[in-house]
Amino acid sequence: MITPPTSPSPAPRPAPPGRRQFLAGTGAVGAAALLSGCVTSGSTAKSESGGDVTLQSNLSSPQAKKAMEKVVEGFGKEGGAKAKLNTVASETFRTQLPTYLTSANPPDLYTWYPGSVAESYAAKDLLLDVSDIWTGPELTGYPDALSKLCTSAAGKKVFVPTTYYWWGVFYRKSNFAKWGVEEPKTWDEFLDLCDTLKGKGIAPIGLGAGGNTPWVASSWFDYLNIRINGAAYHRELLAGKHRFDDPEVRKVFDRWGEALPYFDPNGTALPFQDATTALLQGRTGMMLIGTFFADSAPKGQLEDIDFFRFPVIDPEVPVAEEAPTDGYFASARTSRKAGVKELMRYLATAEAQEIYLKNSSGTALPTHPDAKDSGTALVKKGRALIEGAAELTQYFNRDSSDALQPPADAALTRFLAKPKEIGSILTTWQRESQKIWGR
Amino acid sequence: MAAVVTEAPRKERGPQEDNEPRGRRKRSTRVPPVVLAFVLVPLLAEAFWVFWPAVQGFYLSLTDWDGVSAPRFIGLDNFREMSGDAVFRTAVLDTVLWLLLFGGLSALLGLGAALLLQQERRGVGFYRAALFLPVVFSLVATALVWQAMYQPDGLINQALEGIGLGHLTRAWLADQDTALYAVIVPALWRQIGYVMILYIAGLKGIDPVLYEASKVDGANRRQRFRHITLPQLRSVNAVVLSVIVIDSLRSFDVVWALTRGGPYHSSELLSTYMYSTAFQSLRLGYGSALAVVIFVLAFGVIASYLVRAFREAD
Repeated sequence: MITPPTSPSPAPRPAPPGRRQFLAGTGAVGAAALLSGCVTSGSTAKSESGGDVTLQSNLSSPQAKKAMEKVVEGFGKEGGAKAKLNTVASETFRTQLPTYLTSANPPDLYTWYPGSVAESYAAKDLLLDVSDIWTGPELTGYPDALSKLCTSAAGKKVFVPTTYYWWGVFYRKSNFAKWGVEEPKTWDEFLDLCDTLKGKGIAPIGLGAGGNTPWVASSWFDYLNIRINGAAYHRELLAGKHRFDDPEVRKVFDRWGEALPYFDPNGTALPFQDATTALLQGRTGMMLIGTFFADSAPKGQLEDIDFFRFPVIDPEVPVAEEAPTDGYFASARTSRKAGVKELMRYLATAEAQEIYLKNSSGTALPTHPDAKDSGTALVKKGRALIEGAAELTQYFNRDSSDALQPPADAALTRFLAKPKEIGSILTTWQRESQKIWGR
Repeated sequence: MAAVVTEAPRKERGPQEDNEPRGRRKRSTRVPPVVLAFVLVPLLAEAFWVFWPAVQGFYLSLTDWDGVSAPRFIGLDNFREMSGDAVFRTAVLDTVLWLLLFGGLSALLGLGAALLLQQERRGVGFYRAALFLPVVFSLVATALVWQAMYQPDGLINQALEGIGLGHLTRAWLADQDTALYAVIVPALWRQIGYVMILYIAGLKGIDPVLYEASKVDGANRRQRFRHITLPQLRSVNAVVLSVIVIDSLRSFDVVWALTRGGPYHSSELLSTYMYSTAFQSLRLGYGSALAVVIFVLAFGVIASYLVRAFREAD
């Protein structure tokens, strides 16, 4: 039986409606008290209190976790407030996030995403207004695009970005040299390349949408859509302003159908970590993926890895790239506002971002203009890719919502298995998404 | 709830009490506080952790709730939506299929294993332990081991190629035609040992005199099984039936760890659909309605079992 997340702190908030009270009543007080063991009264929720700032992190891969520990250590040396890191498995973190944010005694600060994901919480007054720290020296040099991305519809800054990364079609330089092939620029060149690789007995396109990472398939939908219909249409589609069964979306799948024979038949059976291994071992030729895949690659092999921009399909459509931004937002109900803001300010500094990049796989880019990235040829090329893009998108779930990801996963997995059923797949996708938009 | 009724010792009674008519004599119904605490404390804990969330779940099934905003009361809309929901129908059918295959095979194979291993022979303990061992592992750990075996280049495909059946190899968990059956195998592998133990206990309880008498009467092995073993196992059958029906309805971990109900809902059970609807799509009202359906089904089985058990006891 599903139980609601522990509900809001009573005192400083307006009296909740009757039914909510019914749910909140015993459940909120009791569950929060029993689970956290530290609820004394609702009124403490918004008043300032001492103790370490709790930083809830979903960065649970070994390298990222270690890097986060170093960042928190660096903050501790500043001599001000102290922080405590709670690393939670990514999937658990995602499903628990609404519970964290609505609980009476929430963790203070969270790793998460800006844009529409943050907006969905900001619109419900669950995020701390951090507009004041955006006027401080740490954040004033940040580009306008990032500033806009971190601003809620109500005009408040609710997010502090720290890193971003790019998606591209990755391959091994030594393998491309061995096979005598080169990076393609256009869709036709890309299909020719696939044909050549297939002729050599290699699965041209690795995917990694199996196991627990079916969402990886969305990258193909995103890129084809922004190359065919443009970034503006893509964003509107994901915001519910167009339908998934529109002819424009159908065009995306027509193009995808051209590349489908070149996909690794195990593409929906292997998670992206295993698909990375297949790429490194030369069983697949290329893979559309974000730089986070580097966490699954031995560091020694990163020098042999390169990527190219997702091929242009319609030269008249401005070239957009997927460049998801990561960072932090804080709970509006934190009892340690000053400490939280101090930590957010620190995280926005070049120093903190460099500590993170130095200790992680180092394939992300810092958001602070003065922060040095890892300086590898791969990262330089990635930076150039993003800087040369006419527009940037985040990723399917970040531009829409986490709730829309499961219907997309189902639709795309079905398409990969039975492309001829695309008509009914799109109808179902629209119907399922409508239930979420319709709320 | 048990109430302890104590009668005060005769010596302490006053003269007036002795004069009262026998039928109206006052009896002390004091319950010792410790006993009361033993009853009330678990009852309160149960009420708080089980009954109250269950009541909330019923209420939530009548709402539209995204887990963040206040739930919006929508009456029976969730249940109406369910009647036209193709994924729900798939989940129900898969759950029934799961019940028949997982339940039926675990009962049959468990009984078969119990019949084979019931007699105390040399080394039988090893075989019993080997069959029971999977019960000890967590289902998620079991699933991870099987996931490696089901990989495209995993043990199963390699074995098939090794014996010249390479044309049968496939991505077992990623193929819509095989995902459900591939997921049933590890669940079954784990359940058989458990059912076997229940049946061995039942077989041990059968009076050997019955078999001896039947042998004297000239009954063969098959007749002894048909007319003595099966009827004598009737009470164990009821337990096994309840266990496997309930286990089928609450099967979740192994499916979630292996396929998450996919690909494209092909291994979707009611439990996985409830979880993904509630916690992935954040439609907690609809997810609660699915939970209510699972509860009603499980409760129906338990209630019908209890009614039957009481009837037999009478």
